[in-house]
Amino acid sequence: MMRSLWTAKTGMDAMQFNIDVVSHNLSNVNTNGYKRERAIFEDLMYQNLRQAGGASSQQTSLPSGLYVGTGTQIVATVRNHSVGNLQKTDGPLDLAINGDGFFQIALPNGTTAYTRDGAFQVNSQGTIVTSSGYELSPAIQVPQGTTSITFAKDGTVSAIVNNDAAAPIQVGNIQTATFINPPGLESIGGNLYLETSASGAPTVGTPGTNGLGAINQGYTETSNVNATEELINMIQAQRAFELNSKAVTTTDQMLAKLSQM
Amino acid sequence: MDRLIYVAMSGAKNSETRQATIANNLANVTTPGFRAELANARAVAALGGPGIGTRAFVVQQSASADFSPGIFQQTGRDLDVAVRGNGWLAVQTPSGEAYTRNGSFAIDAAGLLKTHSGEIVQGESGPLTIPENNRATIAPDGTVTAIDIANPTQTVEVGRLKLVNPADDQLEKGLDGLFRLRSGEVAQADAAVRLASGGIEGSNVNSVEQLVNMISTQRHFDMQVKLLTTAEQNSRSASSLLSLNG
Repeated sequence: MMRSLWTAKTGMDAMQFNIDVVSHNLSNVNTNGYKRERAIFEDLMYQNLRQAGGASSQQTSLPSGLYVGTGTQIVATVRNHSVGNLQKTDGPLDLAINGDGFFQIALPNGTTAYTRDGAFQVNSQGTIVTSSGYELSPAIQVPQGTTSITFAKDGTVSAIVNNDAAAPIQVGNIQTATFINPPGLESIGGNLYLETSASGAPTVGTPGTNGLGAINQGYTETSNVNATEELINMIQAQRAFELNSKAVTTTDQMLAKLSQM
Repeated sequence: MDRLIYVAMSGAKNSETRQATIANNLANVTTPGFRAELANARAVAALGGPGIGTRAFVVQQSASADFSPGIFQQTGRDLDVAVRGNGWLAVQTPSGEAYTRNGSFAIDAAGLLKTHSGEIVQGESGPLTIPENNRATIAPDGTVTAIDIANPTQTVEVGRLKLVNPADDQLEKGLDGLFRLRSGEVAQADAAVRLASGGIEGSNVNSVEQLVNMISTQRHFDMQVKLLTTAEQNSRSASSLLSLNG
């Protein structure tokens, strides 16, 4: 009797976790460069209560055993790295990668993080930084007196200083990185990802070449969350939760009958 | 009297195990490729002792799983496949080759194609390794092609997923939830099995059926408890007859 209580509990737990994943996706529906996550379930180990093939008499054996499953669990959350909508913003420092690749960001602790959020800004020193103030890597310095800045598709950054349109100055190059297994990247919040042993080492290259997506100035990449899909997932998780709570109630009623005997 | 108690207890115990199986099916209502467990009961004649041969205990047994297909869920991932119709995907486990309908794969850092729980996906000629900076696609016949991200015209055929199609009655669910041949042998690859990519097969648990089963099991249990109570009352009446005080 207790077995079905605990089995149903694993189902309720998993569905609650599933709702957590869905609500995280929904709450990031407007986050630049956010990639939606999906929970993957797996059935738990089975208990072998009677081995198939065991003797049922001296001459005969049991044709089938008795296995009872012990429930379900979430085994992974998989991030879907498909490109989100490219939204036109006309901001000169808004960059979107149309295709594969991540911007490289230098964290204050010296490590490199990766992001698809291309809404950059300039800090007081004239360096291009993320909204959290972390520098783009390799660092790009906007010269004093810059009147306009242009990011080419291949990541070449040029600036026109003091309205001297005839002589644009090249101020740097943006390079983007790809991974063999992007879902293996570790999310650390702030739209940033870190390399892990599962993601593999980054391959850095020039945007628009070797399969890397081109950089588009004046666009930001929005989240790739599909609200309809998330709502369906939410309904499914809610119903599955209800079914499992029904199993708990039923088991409880059976136990009550037994104890009132 | 005592015999009635034991027979009723056997029934109540059977309902309990059945309830556990139903709870497991309901818990796995969203597990990709899950195959619902079927719980069967069998009568076993009570042996020995006096009395007419009407007493039979019940023994619960796992007949097999329900092999009907689950629904196809679109996920949009390149590495998600579902088997169309009959057939199974082969994976490597420490205890040999096993079969699953859960076709949600991932690539590890070495490029090896694995399931999310870490079993290596079995190709017709061994494990499948996707070269670096390549995107893998899986064709309906199980052929895995790696497309160079840098040069999309450059494609490499990595291999072919091992797809098998043994008869349902030859398969048995293992304690890890994967299926294996009852004979312990390895199934032959079947070229006729077809896949659908970009989605996974959901669980085949029919929640309505499971709920109805659960209610009927609950009622069945109640009846057994009622019998236990009746047996107790009978026993009490009998002992009061023997009582000197009446």
